[in-house]
Amino acid sequence: MLQDDDDANSSSETDSIDQNPNPNPTTSIDQSLDAIEGQLTSISLHSIPPIPQIISALPSDSHSQLQQATVAQNLEYIDTLPSDSHSQVEQVVESPGEVDMERGVVDNSVSRGQGVLWRNNSDVDVDVEGQGSPSSSGYAGGKGTSSSSSGISGSGIEEISGDDEVDRVEVVNRSASFGASVDSEWLPGKRHVNEDDASVSWRKRKKHFFILSHSGKPIYSRYGDEHRLAGFSATLQAIISFVENGGDRVKLVRAGKHQVVFLVKGPIYLVCISCTEEPHESLSEQLELLYGQMILILTKSINRCFEKNAKFDMTPLLGGTDAVFSSLIHSFSWNPATFLHAYSCLPLAYATRQAAGAILQDVAESGVLFAILMCKHKVISLVGAQKASLHPDDMLLLANFVMSSESFRTSESFSPICLPRYNPMAFLYTYVYYLDADTYLMLLTANPDAFHRLKDWRIRIEMVLLKSNVLNEAQRSMVDGGMHVEDLPVNPSPLSGSLSSHLGQPRPPLDSTDGCKTLLGGPAGLWHFIYRSIYLDQYVSSEFSSPVNTPKQQKRLFRAYQKLYTSMHDRELGPHKTQFRRDNNYVLLCWVTQDFELYAAFDPLADKVCFLL
Amino acid sequence: MPSRRRTLLKVIILGDSGVGKTSLMNQYVNKKFSTQYKATIGADFLTKEIQFEDRLFTLQIWDTAGQERFQSLGVAFYRGADCCVLVYDVNVMKSFDNLNNWREEFLIQASPSDPENFPFVVLGNKTDVDGGNSRVVSEKKARAWCALKGNIPYFETSAKEGINVEEAFQCIAKNALKSGEEEEIYMPDTIDVGSSSQQRSTGCEC
Repeated sequence: MLQDDDDANSSSETDSIDQNPNPNPTTSIDQSLDAIEGQLTSISLHSIPPIPQIISALPSDSHSQLQQATVAQNLEYIDTLPSDSHSQVEQVVESPGEVDMERGVVDNSVSRGQGVLWRNNSDVDVDVEGQGSPSSSGYAGGKGTSSSSSGISGSGIEEISGDDEVDRVEVVNRSASFGASVDSEWLPGKRHVNEDDASVSWRKRKKHFFILSHSGKPIYSRYGDEHRLAGFSATLQAIISFVENGGDRVKLVRAGKHQVVFLVKGPIYLVCISCTEEPHESLSEQLELLYGQMILILTKSINRCFEKNAKFDMTPLLGGTDAVFSSLIHSFSWNPATFLHAYSCLPLAYATRQAAGAILQDVAESGVLFAILMCKHKVISLVGAQKASLHPDDMLLLANFVMSSESFRTSESFSPICLPRYNPMAFLYTYVYYLDADTYLMLLTANPDAFHRLKDWRIRIEMVLLKSNVLNEAQRSMVDGGMHVEDLPVNPSPLSGSLSSHLGQPRPPLDSTDGCKTLLGGPAGLWHFIYRSIYLDQYVSSEFSSPVNTPKQQKRLFRAYQKLYTSMHDRELGPHKTQFRRDNNYVLLCWVTQDFELYAAFDPLADKVCFLL
Repeated sequence: MPSRRRTLLKVIILGDSGVGKTSLMNQYVNKKFSTQYKATIGADFLTKEIQFEDRLFTLQIWDTAGQERFQSLGVAFYRGADCCVLVYDVNVMKSFDNLNNWREEFLIQASPSDPENFPFVVLGNKTDVDGGNSRVVSEKKARAWCALKGNIPYFETSAKEGINVEEAFQCIAKNALKSGEEEEIYMPDTIDVGSSSQQRSTGCEC
């Protein structure tokens, strides 16, 4: 159903990555794709009855333009919804005009952060005994220096919130596709190095990431020069340490449109300052990944250096890794793996993947811990030694590390790396070799002397891959892309035989801001979907197609999914089973079971009933 | 992370309130002086890039509040300092007497690995006041104390006139640098696949 041509992923009987002998299941994603059809069609059976019911239970909600229903195990969620979304607005906004209601998205989950210390909006009384220090203003003019009062209240965070044009322009220019074409347009490395916290442009950036040591020494900043931000870094440390001193922890500070999210990992502090309206839970997970990336490069043994010497400066150890971090941060806005905790596979014919899997299996049996063949962000084949299994987050971080480090492309390499979810304390060694521009082989071993043996293996693997045409097939698959919603057959089901009739038929254009919406996309107004198999740790998403064309629209959908994911996995209220959410841009549907999660976006004008088919 | 190796030095300035800590820092970083007194609340942070023996350094200067009520912030602020600057007012005996307390308190709270040799610098500030006529702490007395505490470098400064400020901070940078020189090779373990039964953390928090 997903593909009607005879191409790669049409296989209904495939079992592609099952070469992995480990007890952890790694059957084929292809197989599970077929399940999507059934699930897409059967959603209707599950959800039709509750949804109209619940929607009617909601207020018509003109002030927030939010229509949301959650069919959850706990109905309290729904009961509390209206008042809650209201209180959210109160909490986050100082002046009512400030919330961007344009999109009609009000995220309920945000207002419920547990253990949040300060979610006060009233100009942040985070201060250490009222440090709205006026004294610091005297320095502000100094050139080449930065000053900020430790009273982040008045002078610190407040001033960051200006208009956010700066980043917005940039965002449009960037490709925000979920697909693999992204990094062609992504410029690696840090930009805007000449900025610091006194720069207007720096303050206008929508999303900052900082890593610093517990003594306040800067380690990494997404924008600007770390050393010039030393004063800002010190301020962050002062806030974190002050709260720590009181035996407490600061997790989140809200200041107007901005959220400041903190993550303390022993002697390493990570901070995100964002006005992107992402849920703070998402930002927090992004900080976890950023920390994981650092561990991947250095291992957690770095903590020992700080124990021995609190003033330890770890920046030299991270020399040259700017691009690794910035590319990871970039992936937070396009790669679903960053919030789904799952990886995606390159669509390939069964025989092709079999061929790749078989040779990798041979390597794994010869003492290699993991053998991974990838094409950009997508897995072609993955094999682990007995009992070893690779966490999807580790795979994300490893692939990011390899792809963002230019030097791997030019020669075969043997590099120490650490898999934070496998063993955060110790190094492994990875042999990396690019077979062509996109496809690369990674062989992980615990043996630091294995280079020559692995090189020999690589030569054998390369021969097999060439002989069985795997590399060409992979390239072709990259070009062809994944599934397209347009290819999904309109599927008349007993419930709705008549409904599909309007599909694909032109509708009058909406008077929405986008101005480009007609009923496009797949059956029932389906625009896009992501399917995640929990059992396989894998996900598959459809390619973007009309009308989700521009990077801006794609990024918006990405963020909407991200929000959906967060609200579905709310720790206090969740996990939920299904969620239905409609706003100006789309109707979003999420369905979570023990085995899979399905996220789908539909035309906002599609009938409630018909997109359930 | 900078491509060229640079060093960041964390410098803490301590001393009684009103001795001129903020003014010294302001004079050093911004070449400005204001007669108006504004109490520092908590701490202020400034950075200054300097060149020293052909190397680039960034001084991260922590200008702390002198009032006692802020001393509970100590642990949070002092951790990982590369150098500590003790400031007193040559016209106020009490501020000189308190240097010992400041030093002790710092060593307790920052607990540096080698307290005996932790780099301090002492500054006797406000030498310009009244043409030096209201001075109560003699240079000799101050130097004697510094010698006693392990030959702490001593400077007499005037933040107002900008006297000796540059020199003092050069010395601060030099001393901070000295203490940070010891380098170790970073050598984490390698996974021993044979003995340990590695398992992936199943704790996917979703």
